[in-house]
Amino acid sequence: MEIKNIKLSQLPAFFDQLIKSGKVVIAPVMKKSGKVFFERVQSYSQVATDYIQTGFSAKSVVFPKVEVLFSFNKTDDGIDIKDSITDIPETIVWGLRPCDGSAFNYMTEFFLKENPDVYYAARKAKTTLIAISCAKADDACFCTSVGLTPGSTEGSDLLLTTMGEDVYVEVITEKGKAAIDLSASLFSVNEERSKEKYLAKIDTKFSLTEIKERIKTAYDSAEWKNESMGCFGCGACAFSCPTCTCFDIQDEGTQNKGQRLRCWDACGFGQFTKHASGHNPKTNQTQRRRQRLMHKFQYSVENLGIVSCVGCGRCIRVCPAHLNIFENILSVTQ
Amino acid sequence: MSEQFEPKIVAFVCNWCTYAGADLAGTSRTKYATNVSIIRFPCTGRIDFMLLMKAFENGADGIIVSGCHPNDCHYTSGNFHARRRWIVFRSLLDFMGFDTDRITFSWVSAAEGAKWAGLVDETTQRIREKGAFTDFKKLDCSTFEKISHDAITE
Amino acid sequence: MTPLQNKVAELFENGTISLMIGYKNAINKLAVPCFIDHATQVEQLIYTPECKGNLSVYLHKAEIKQAKKIGILANIATLRSLVQLTSENQLSDIEKTVITINAQNEVLVFDNMEKVEEYVQANFPEYTEEDKKLLEQLNSMTRAERWQYWSEQFAACVKCYACRAVCPMCYCSSCTVECNQPQWIKVSSETTGNLEWHTMRAMHLAGRCINCGECGRICPVGIPVHLLTAQMNLDIEKEFGSKTGFSCNSGYALNTFKPEDKEQFIK
Repeated sequence: MEIKNIKLSQLPAFFDQLIKSGKVVIAPVMKKSGKVFFERVQSYSQVATDYIQTGFSAKSVVFPKVEVLFSFNKTDDGIDIKDSITDIPETIVWGLRPCDGSAFNYMTEFFLKENPDVYYAARKAKTTLIAISCAKADDACFCTSVGLTPGSTEGSDLLLTTMGEDVYVEVITEKGKAAIDLSASLFSVNEERSKEKYLAKIDTKFSLTEIKERIKTAYDSAEWKNESMGCFGCGACAFSCPTCTCFDIQDEGTQNKGQRLRCWDACGFGQFTKHASGHNPKTNQTQRRRQRLMHKFQYSVENLGIVSCVGCGRCIRVCPAHLNIFENILSVTQ
Repeated sequence: MSEQFEPKIVAFVCNWCTYAGADLAGTSRTKYATNVSIIRFPCTGRIDFMLLMKAFENGADGIIVSGCHPNDCHYTSGNFHARRRWIVFRSLLDFMGFDTDRITFSWVSAAEGAKWAGLVDETTQRIREKGAFTDFKKLDCSTFEKISHDAITE
Repeated sequence: MTPLQNKVAELFENGTISLMIGYKNAINKLAVPCFIDHATQVEQLIYTPECKGNLSVYLHKAEIKQAKKIGILANIATLRSLVQLTSENQLSDIEKTVITINAQNEVLVFDNMEKVEEYVQANFPEYTEEDKKLLEQLNSMTRAERWQYWSEQFAACVKCYACRAVCPMCYCSSCTVECNQPQWIKVSSETTGNLEWHTMRAMHLAGRCINCGECGRICPVGIPVHLLTAQMNLDIEKEFGSKTGFSCNSGYALNTFKPEDKEQFIK
């Protein structure tokens, strides 16, 4: 891995070069409500710098909340079908957290492993991820419990760590290299150093090896009921989660004109498992909450070999009842 | 000659009074604007606000909602219930910034063929002056442009 | 042990309740719902200004209803929703004990709804200063500015339906948004559909919403959805003189009418 250095004061200049490259730049923006969201920006002055975590993850760049798969239009000469895959622009995501970066690894496995999803592949190929290590964390952060750290490089293309007046730049992939080559003069050669003292301190909540072992027998735990009693059955956790990939295919329009859409869906919804017959195998919120947690820590390990929770803590912060995923996992695996 | 904008107007009317009133206008050979498409309901109490939203979504430029005068409802109180709902719905639309002038609420009895013709003419003229209803269309287009990335804006 | 904890322990011991819905401390200085089924667990219970959540929504949950005797710790908004739900005949099958803490820090236990009603009427809450300010701002805007404001807000909606999930008045077992024949509200999240969803929600709650503000507080993208129903309630009170969550027998403003109801816009 190549290591570079850039002066902290030069970051805006680097950012301007990214904007000037003509690519779409998505970065965290502080809203009036005090919450921070990823949004398309035009200048560095719009970018939020002092925050712990964005309200929603950056997954919508590769997996939008609503994605047009194709559209059709009936004309006198027949049916005109337009594939939306051709419209995808080159995109840079600035300032995502290392946990979000690693979430892209999971999504890539999920979407591309067996039956490659062309829409995801096309978006991912055109996306550059510039992550910034966490200097601050709150009690909801638990990346260190799922095998990551506030300075993990997994999944990202470039990782920036502020060290006083300097920014320590880890060039992880070719895409990351291409991004810094846009303003090569701003970067100087650096040697590998420990980032440790510049990173947030996050306590380990549990031992992942133990949890992975114990959750195999947790399905019948009596604790599921207590742990999910507070769950209201909304989709806030799934929609804010960087690794929740469930979707619902919808056709919208009329017989003459319309489009096929891929929309976010959430396993917390009562209708998520409802069959066309009207039968619903998951009848209560306990079963739905169990599905969500078991998927993160067991089913995705069985299917893809990866724990699909990155410890970003969004579901805890966003949950109307503030259900705590790591406390839940601990109690059902006791 | 430049072509005049012809608005699409949907009328939600009750079976017993306004529909009969519109019939009377027809049998009396009263001339009135052809912009209106009438949808007949059993009672104004059945006219759900979502029908109005859907009409706008599907391209209506203006809407007329009409039924029996108070105290004349075929089902005794359907129009009284409807009236409360319209008061609330109209103030909600206004609070959301929706142009409530695009909806005309009216009472037209079975005997008021001339009132119906006048109402349609007057509404058509008003909507013609306002132009096409594009508020919803603009919304769609602005989100779908953003959807490919992140539609999260304040 | 605090007076609240003592009281709840006593209620468990004398068999008045078998499940207590209250609040406990959680990370990031939050107060979160907790469910206690034994006197030994009462030490978790807290009551602080952070206890904002409206716990009455849990009374609709099947898992909770299984407990025969339910104790519920209620802030003033929760008390109001209990009154409104009673007036809508939604709580008749639940044996409940309502516990609240008044301004003097005394623990009050109500074993019937008449007492709750009396307490609510004596302590009827005003709109918060923040909500009053926001409503005033919105009402002083031009129509076009309000349209702009709300369309930007609704563009951000992701249709997670958290606003519906936390609402004690949204107790329908099947919601219009889940109806797909005909489909009233699109499944996809785009602004027109989102606007229709919020219009529908506000209309179905107009005159029933008890202004707890939970929907706005918990919205993951920060849309102040509670303002829609808050404004509706003001209008309904002005037009028809009815208050929500005020009386156990008041019914629902849009479920009734007066022949003398006034309006200026029907031609």
